[in-house]
Amino acid sequence: MPTHAGTPQTEEPAEALIEAEHVSRVYHRPRTSLTKPGAAVRALDDVSLTVRRGERYGIVGESGSGKSTLLRLLCALDQPTSGSIRFDGQEITGRPERRLRFLRENLQIVFQDPMSSLDPRMRVRDLVAEPLVGLGLPAGDRVAELLDAVGLPASAADRYPHQFSGGQRQRIAIARALAPRPKVLVADEPVSALDVSVRGQILNLLADLVDELGLTLVFVSHDLSVVRHVCETVAVMSRGEIVESGPVDEIWAAPAHPYTRTLLRAVPTLKGLL
Amino acid sequence: MLKVEGLTVRSGDVELVHDVSFDIAPGERVGLIGESGSGKSLTALSLMGLLPEGVTATGRAALDGPDGGGDDLVGVPESRLKRLRGRDVSMVFQEPMTALNPLMRIGAQVAEIMTLHGTPRPQARRRALDLLDRVRLPEPAQIARAYPHQLSGGQRQRVMLAIALANEPRLLICDEPTTALDVTVQKQMLELIAEVAPALLFITHDLAVVASVCERVLVMYGGRVVESGPIREVFTRPRHRYTEGLLAASKLTPRGTRLPTIKGSVPAAGRFPGGCVFRNRCPHATPTCEDVPALTGDGHAHACWHPAD
Ligand SMILES: Nc1ncnc2c1ncn2[C@@H]1O[C@H](COP(=O)(O)OP(=O)(O)OP(=O)(O)O)[C@@H](O)[C@H]1O
Ligand SMILES: Nc1ncnc2c1ncn2[C@@H]1O[C@H](COP(=O)(O)OP(=O)(O)O)[C@@H](O)[C@H]1O
Ligand code: SF4
Ligand SMILES: [Mg+2]
Ligand SMILES: [Mg+2]
Repeated sequence: MPTHAGTPQTEEPAEALIEAEHVSRVYHRPRTSLTKPGAAVRALDDVSLTVRRGERYGIVGESGSGKSTLLRLLCALDQPTSGSIRFDGQEITGRPERRLRFLRENLQIVFQDPMSSLDPRMRVRDLVAEPLVGLGLPAGDRVAELLDAVGLPASAADRYPHQFSGGQRQRIAIARALAPRPKVLVADEPVSALDVSVRGQILNLLADLVDELGLTLVFVSHDLSVVRHVCETVAVMSRGEIVESGPVDEIWAAPAHPYTRTLLRAVPTLKGLL
Repeated sequence: MLKVEGLTVRSGDVELVHDVSFDIAPGERVGLIGESGSGKSLTALSLMGLLPEGVTATGRAALDGPDGGGDDLVGVPESRLKRLRGRDVSMVFQEPMTALNPLMRIGAQVAEIMTLHGTPRPQARRRALDLLDRVRLPEPAQIARAYPHQLSGGQRQRVMLAIALANEPRLLICDEPTTALDVTVQKQMLELIAEVAPALLFITHDLAVVASVCERVLVMYGGRVVESGPIREVFTRPRHRYTEGLLAASKLTPRGTRLPTIKGSVPAAGRFPGGCVFRNRCPHATPTCEDVPALTGDGHAHACWHPAD
């Protein structure tokens, strides 16, 4: 039985589910002159992390710090320049797509911008069923079940993404990610584009689903206060490196790295001002 | 400085903004908050004379001149507005990528807004560099030669601010200028706006952001101002139930607890209930709320039959 997130910390630590060791990713910018090669960008520099089964693991950092690059590697949507990534004990780097089925069934991703992450020409029914079709799994009643789970009416299935608000589109993206019954949900800034009131609805929905389905959650945000509400563990990224990681409450109370302190000070709050 | 009276915005027979009135004093920073779809952007666009095709504004909005004369912003011909826009009133938009010309160098875009209003070209070029420096862009000369796609989101927003400030406007309008930015860049941008704005109308859905920039706030929902007053008062003692809901939803409670939310979602234009527009989502609604509550009170005003106390 999977350990549910939020259980007391006195228990034995759960087993490692995602393990990244010494991962680096160097991008090459397109060349701008005929004589000089494009500049190399070290988007990730020797990053190691362990996500345990049932854990809610947050990744926080400013724009360009390498959060999305790291997620793409954890999801095997991109390959590291060096280093190793294991999912449930199996190496996922260097594998062709046809040998990644175990990963695709067990790990799904939700992106930041619900406007651009959903194909505008597809109906919600087909969008939600797409991961199943890709894996050759039957859709059956699954679409209706999923729409219900994320709080959308069954009639939503026949409509197109542009007919929904930002928050509703994010619900569609979550339903789609949950379709193959993954063990791990990876969310890249899922609420950054939303109004505060809608942000609360989506965060509550995520928390419910993680609890009910016993999911492991990897959650990216640039706002440490949001990560603190959602996750128990956090890794702080700056310029492609993890500069600090550990229990979020400890880091919130006593940030060790100067960059984490900057990040904390930048969080807009109503408290200090009133 | 700016006086808006009975501003109403329509698309066909659908009212998108209804009878909005407010003032901004010289040097004052006023926030306009509300969820997406509340009518904030349309209010701002009316003042700029930039409403989309098929959308029209009525009512009065006047900008006091330095010499005591007033300039009307609503219901005047485009030729007159063109003269004011970007000179006396200017605006920073939410998405800087769509507001900048991708094919034109940054320096030229900043200079253009000045030459359009009569500044000689060489002088405009020089001043463009000063402006890029004023919005604290590093190495202004280099930035001036760059194209928009070569800058980060935060840098592009600073360029937009430089363009908005180019002609020393009397009123600056910012529509969600930091929503697309991360918290660290946002903080710098907000400090900058507070420092350089002459008089400011600042639109956002983020209450903590508005509290860090403005002195007074207007809360908008369903195209109406439902509450207004000094930030500190409105945020510590909200009266309208919508403001109360927004404030509750802005707080991140401890992990493992449910976040307070406002029930349901913002209706589409024309689908708000009659009477109090918030009625179908309000936990305190009674049959009395089927009548429209008037905005009452000076200083701190609200339009609610059963206000919080
Ligand atoms: N395909 C690419 N080619 C070249 N450089 C890239 C590419 N993708 C990302 N980068 C660079 O790698 C670095 C890390 O980018 P990444 O998208 O991971 O940041 P992030 O932390 O997700 O930022 P944000 O908060 O803005 O989403 C940045 O300097 C970025 O410009
Ligand atoms: N060009 C338009 N034609 C018709 N309705 C519009 C147009 N632009 C906006 N609306 C509608 O007017 C309402 C208010 O929009 P807007 O001012 O953009 O809200 P906000 O800026 O508060 O998110 C929304 O219901 C929106 O769909
Ligand atoms: S007038 Fe009535 S419905 Fe509207 S906010 Fe007040 S109590 Fe709620
Ligand atoms: Mg990213
Ligand atoms: Mg808007």
